Amino acid sequence: MKYASAEVRKQFFIDMFTRDISLEDCVLDLIDNSVDAYLLKHETSISELVFGPDGNPAAHELGKIDVTCTERQIKVVDTCGGILRKRAMGEVFCFGHDEDDQVGKLGAYGVGMKRALFKIGNHFHIVSRTPQEGFEVTFKLDEWADRKEWNIPITFIEGAGSEKKAGTSITVTELHDEVALRIKEGGVPKNILEDASTTYPYFLGQCVRLRINDTDVNPEPIKLGELDGVLRAAHEKFVQDRVVVTLAATVAPGQRKAEDAGWYILCNGRVVVHADKTNLTGWSNDLASFQPKYRSFVGIASFESEDPLNLPWTTTKRDLNRESGVFIRARALMATMSKPILTFLNSQYSGDTTVEVADIRDAVGGVKEVSFKDIAAKPTTGFLYSPPKRKEKKTEWVRFQADVSSLDKVRRRLRRPNMGAGDIGKLTLSHYVKTECAE
Amino acid sequence: MSAVSSSYRVQYDVRPAKQVERRMLVDALQRLAAAGFPVADYQYTGFGAIYFVDFILFHKSLGMSKLVSLEQQTSLTSRMKFNRPFSCVEIKMVPASSEIPNLSRDAHHFVWLDYDGVLQKDFLSDIQSAITVLPAGSILLVTVDVEPPEDYDYRAVDPDFDSSKEVLGPKHWKRYFEYHAPSYLKLGLSDADFGKSELILRSSEILNAAFTKSIVARPELHFLPMFNFAYKDSHSMLTMGGMIAGRAEKRQLRGSNIGETVYYRDDFGSPPFEIKIPRLTRKERVYLDREMPCADGWVPGDFHLDPEDVLHYRDIYRFLPAFAEISL
Repeated sequence: MKYASAEVRKQFFIDMFTRDISLEDCVLDLIDNSVDAYLLKHETSISELVFGPDGNPAAHELGKIDVTCTERQIKVVDTCGGILRKRAMGEVFCFGHDEDDQVGKLGAYGVGMKRALFKIGNHFHIVSRTPQEGFEVTFKLDEWADRKEWNIPITFIEGAGSEKKAGTSITVTELHDEVALRIKEGGVPKNILEDASTTYPYFLGQCVRLRINDTDVNPEPIKLGELDGVLRAAHEKFVQDRVVVTLAATVAPGQRKAEDAGWYILCNGRVVVHADKTNLTGWSNDLASFQPKYRSFVGIASFESEDPLNLPWTTTKRDLNRESGVFIRARALMATMSKPILTFLNSQYSGDTTVEVADIRDAVGGVKEVSFKDIAAKPTTGFLYSPPKRKEKKTEWVRFQADVSSLDKVRRRLRRPNMGAGDIGKLTLSHYVKTECAE
Repeated sequence: MSAVSSSYRVQYDVRPAKQVERRMLVDALQRLAAAGFPVADYQYTGFGAIYFVDFILFHKSLGMSKLVSLEQQTSLTSRMKFNRPFSCVEIKMVPASSEIPNLSRDAHHFVWLDYDGVLQKDFLSDIQSAITVLPAGSILLVTVDVEPPEDYDYRAVDPDFDSSKEVLGPKHWKRYFEYHAPSYLKLGLSDADFGKSELILRSSEILNAAFTKSIVARPELHFLPMFNFAYKDSHSMLTMGGMIAGRAEKRQLRGSNIGETVYYRDDFGSPPFEIKIPRLTRKERVYLDREMPCADGWVPGDFHLDPEDVLHYRDIYRFLPAFAEISL
């Protein structure tokens, strides 16, 4: 038996590996690593972050993540606990996780950091310290690509000495020309800031504090709404393939922009798909195509698993694997939950001006913010709209055009030439009721 | 004058074929009950309109007492409430798409989406919703009109269609179905495949695809075909349905004797059970009934009846209502 070569060529690997991900998503991948280190260190549960009690300050000090993005370097420094030497030696720089590796929450495939580094630049300097031990790695991609071996030089250094100082610093310099050009073009730090605020609403302020070029990133929460006794959010929950899926769909509170409407999909708390209105989440297929009249629609689909590989996300964490069984089931439920909401929102624009239409518009306008946690704590249910019970009317408008000559006759009879038409109307009705109606 | 005598025509308001279908469903559900399905505890959700014929039948014959009638024509509210036959019938003025997600996941359901129109995308979407949420053991039934789409149906596809300039034909009907069910149609269909007589087959294929596609989201369950009726009182109609079943329900269904009936269809690939009602006088029916169930090839000796009609009658005589005029 002879064997043909089927080896992976490094340069091909590097070129192919980095092609389908944006610069911004690469930086988010590095942030994921920092967040994951914090979650691992503090054994933080994703459920606690997404569905935990409101206003409960984190039991541990927030991890700090500082991102610097300039034409010369991209740097991510955190105080999220650092990486153990053992993992650095056998796991962190490998492509793909080992079966026995300590699994994180946001790193599914074991490619994010490496792909980000390769995409961004040529020179890498990584320093990581736990309280007890540390390591340092410096290498250049072009030199590494020329070498046959698939390993990198590592130096052991001292630990940080305290929990507070423990963390990792990743600095990429000698940025690739196209990366430097994009940063020079402007907008990249702002994009990263905006993407981070919508990607980590369940982490920012709860377990980490993130800054991009010295600017704090504030979480952009996904707002859900209900109206007591009138509007109830749809909620579904199921477990499949060791993934816990929690779904909520409803009308969002406040004035809404069309770009905020749609489905938000979380994988272990990280927003993977943001305000989706495409056929990924059933629009234009199982549902109608999105139109501005649906701008108040909002839905969250949370997929949570101890093993991130079971989650339906792709390696870029910006899309979903449509062949995933758990996503196929969730998608069917998402469509089922959405339809009554779209029908309801549609009915606001009914041609008639009946009381029912006015009630629906009032309900949409009066929706109050409610947390995902509160919706998820209730039994599963479909979307429900119960029109408010109307109070019996005590008064009603009477409006009509009257002949000026008739009004003048009344004015002359009453000797009040300046009497207003409204007052004449009231007087004549009152007179009729008194003189002609028995009760 | 018509070539067919009025004696053979249907009296539209009483709809005998539809009633045979309902009674066959009662028969089927009684057989399921005998096999251990808790049919009396099932919730029936249907479109009772102002007559509630199915609700009355299922309550009286099967003991179902959780009954929900859906209606989206709000102008019918007072008439529906006035005509509500029993206190256990709940009337909800909402479309099926709003109610299906609210159906209890802890109860068995019998849901009959008894549409009176030609297949459209909303129906398929309701089927998907129902199969997505109904618990195992529940039965879903869907009825659609299989006559060609009419002008007002077609205007959803082409708002500029002008019936004074063009007459609808297979080319338009193909466009209609492609518009409403693009991902449910087989590939490679031509205009000729949408001729009037083909529409029942196309509708059947689409409904079958909708059942199959929808159950994929629930890998632990199957959609087991049970019913495939074709009938015509005024319009040609098609009813298809079956059970959402796990292993236990599948076993239980196999253990029932429903498979012995003439109307049971466990494969949507085979032709539907056609409810054909020979037009007979009361006297003829009494005569025939005395010989039922008759042997193959038997024909009445005292009057001529086509042997095919005898066979049709043998299939449906137990379920055929006898209508009579009463003075109130």
